[in-house]
Amino acid sequence: MMDAKVVEFCRLLRENGVRVSVAETMDGLRALGAVGLEHPELVRAALRATTVKRANDVPVFDALFDVFFLGLGEAIKAATQATAEALGMDPEELQRLIEALEALAAEQGIELSALAKALLRADSGTLERLLREAAERAGVDEIQHGFQEGRFTHALANALGAGGVADELARLRGLAALDERPDGAQLRDYIDRRLQDLLDMMKGAVRQELDRRDVTRRERQSLQALADKSFFYLTEEEMRRMQEAVTRLAQRLRNVVALRRRRARRGTFDSSATLRRNLQYGGTPFHIVFDRRRKDRPQVVILCDVSDSVRNVSRFMLQFVYSLQDLYSRVRSFIFVADIGEVTALFKEHDVNRALDLAMQGSIINVYSHSDFGRAFRAFHRDYLGAVNKRTTVLILGDARNNYNLPHEWVLRDVQQRAKQVVWLNPENRMTWGFGDSEMDRYAPFCTLVEECRNLNQLYRVIDRLVTA
Amino acid sequence: MFASIDDVIQRFAAHQYIASRTIATVVYLASHLRKPILVEGPAGVGKTELAKVLAAALGQPLLRLQCYEGLDEAKALYEWEYAKQLLYTQILKEKIGEVVAGARTLNEAVERIAREDDVFFSERFLLPRPLLRAITDDHASVLLIDEIDKADAEFEAFLLEVLSDFQVTVPELGTLRARHHPTVVLTSNNAREMSDALKRRCLHLFIDFPDRQQELDIVTLKVPEVGRALAEQVVSLIQRVRKLDLKKVPSISETLDWTRALMLLNVSALDDAMVAETLSVILKYEGDIRKAQQELREFVELQRAKAASGAVRSDKDVVH
Repeated sequence: MMDAKVVEFCRLLRENGVRVSVAETMDGLRALGAVGLEHPELVRAALRATTVKRANDVPVFDALFDVFFLGLGEAIKAATQATAEALGMDPEELQRLIEALEALAAEQGIELSALAKALLRADSGTLERLLREAAERAGVDEIQHGFQEGRFTHALANALGAGGVADELARLRGLAALDERPDGAQLRDYIDRRLQDLLDMMKGAVRQELDRRDVTRRERQSLQALADKSFFYLTEEEMRRMQEAVTRLAQRLRNVVALRRRRARRGTFDSSATLRRNLQYGGTPFHIVFDRRRKDRPQVVILCDVSDSVRNVSRFMLQFVYSLQDLYSRVRSFIFVADIGEVTALFKEHDVNRALDLAMQGSIINVYSHSDFGRAFRAFHRDYLGAVNKRTTVLILGDARNNYNLPHEWVLRDVQQRAKQVVWLNPENRMTWGFGDSEMDRYAPFCTLVEECRNLNQLYRVIDRLVTA
Repeated sequence: MFASIDDVIQRFAAHQYIASRTIATVVYLASHLRKPILVEGPAGVGKTELAKVLAAALGQPLLRLQCYEGLDEAKALYEWEYAKQLLYTQILKEKIGEVVAGARTLNEAVERIAREDDVFFSERFLLPRPLLRAITDDHASVLLIDEIDKADAEFEAFLLEVLSDFQVTVPELGTLRARHHPTVVLTSNNAREMSDALKRRCLHLFIDFPDRQQELDIVTLKVPEVGRALAEQVVSLIQRVRKLDLKKVPSISETLDWTRALMLLNVSALDDAMVAETLSVILKYEGDIRKAQQELREFVELQRAKAASGAVRSDKDVVH
């Protein structure tokens, strides 16, 4: 029973972007075996320690844990609590009332079902178990939309045998009224309320399932779609998530690159270094020295257009590159619209996101002017050409929409002659290049590579090639 | 071995460590499931301390491996003591001469030496580093692998091997198996993300800065001579400073340093001048200090207003 629940919970975590392996699920089960199930907080701590390995995932875990493990139980307890309060009874009085009801049932030979007993006794544990079992039989987990709530509540009521319970309790209620007992009114009131509570609990169970679906579906949709979504149409929420996605992708890329480099680094036997190293042992070669190939980290110069139309792309591009800063020997970055300015120092002083905010706010250059690639390039040629040498990859990001100004493509020619390669990323659809004021066709001949870069997947591919180059 | 989660809390408390229920649960699980704990969290929240206290609570020795960039197997696991080997060959020259004596060909001499080379590659010449010691020691121990995020990804991969089987292969000697499973604690400051493979094998524990009450408990436990009033002032101020946008947020160890410093200076209540003078104990950057000063002035004003309203208490202070 618990096993299935934990497995199901781990699946739910996975659907919400928390990576939980099978081994971790099993660890979770063993951990629960060690701490027991009595205290919800211990169950939470045990599951968290075994299945959640990133601090970022902890809020997701906590939210899901609440919905999954506590939701129904809490709802049931709350309903009981509310009833007791509404009747204005303390626990002892309530206990007496329940005993009186059971005695009455026994007297009159009414066989109460398990559900009716649990309901009257306010036995939360049994109620929860019965509700869950019935929910499973009724297939409540197939619910898709809010408007199906009524239908599934009905199905749940059938599976639970709620009709029978209502009949049993109605008879009991009638007896309590007949008997002219002094506490008759109270008994009837209690039964009425508990029946109402049962309805609320069933609704709660269905609603909870719906919530779970919702969380899952929302997360999954946006995760899948985000990587393919064009940078132009991002909501603020998506911008935030995109930043996370970039960080995650950067991490993945870093691991891959570390592996590749390790493989590439094995060298051959270096006889002279071995001799030198072993002079202290009288030339006996205790240490064998291999000639390790020099880590050839690429140098990158980035030119980012930050005019309105492409600002988002530039942002993610810069974030990506700077998240991977340790993979390059050197990164210099410039932003331009009509003027050009260097932002390298910003990234040294602040963390990536803060630096990006500062860069995009216009403290370096006027970001609200009209794009003028030619002018910006000429300024680059004049002031910063020294930044480019034969080990440099120059990365230009822009839509090449020049507002019919002079393109000055000769700058790119000069840059290309000095650089290892020039890569141009254009966030516009390839079909529209060269139309209107787009000067892409003029710039393209001087680039080693021209790529369309409209979404995260394309960006990832480009950066991947860049760090490997 | 811990009997229960409460047992963990009590035994840690006996060693002056206030373990929250979450921390205690993870420690308990680690000792029962025999899994390493990966502790993450900002600097100075007591990650390393956790391992030390764990060792003390279990009554086991602590073996510490401090990670840094460029740490390799030789420094973490074992090294052959070349100098000692060399010294022995020099001293034993004559003996070697005897062994080789009478060999007719070079080939035969080499053969004879080869028969004896076990002598030089035995445990006698093996210099065990923390990892190997944790494995070969006669008694169980707590192995602390500190700041694993500083080590290279390669080292992490190597560590995985050791942590999953607790056995090490030394080519010349064969495989050495752990006699006792050491309790392993890894700490990380999140300088880089650990690989999924490593995380999968560990229990994960995230320790954040403590809340007000916890920190107050810690301060009064660690610096018992501090008065209740001062402790409260210090902790409220630190909690406020942590909310500022600082380059380096003050940690628990800095709270304690500061409290001790104030005790040394015989301070019984915080005032403007005193705070300004001792601020460098909790903040380590010029920019941070400047940012914090404004906040502090407001805080001290607030405290003064409070003290003025509760005049009875401040009178009492004066009498002291």
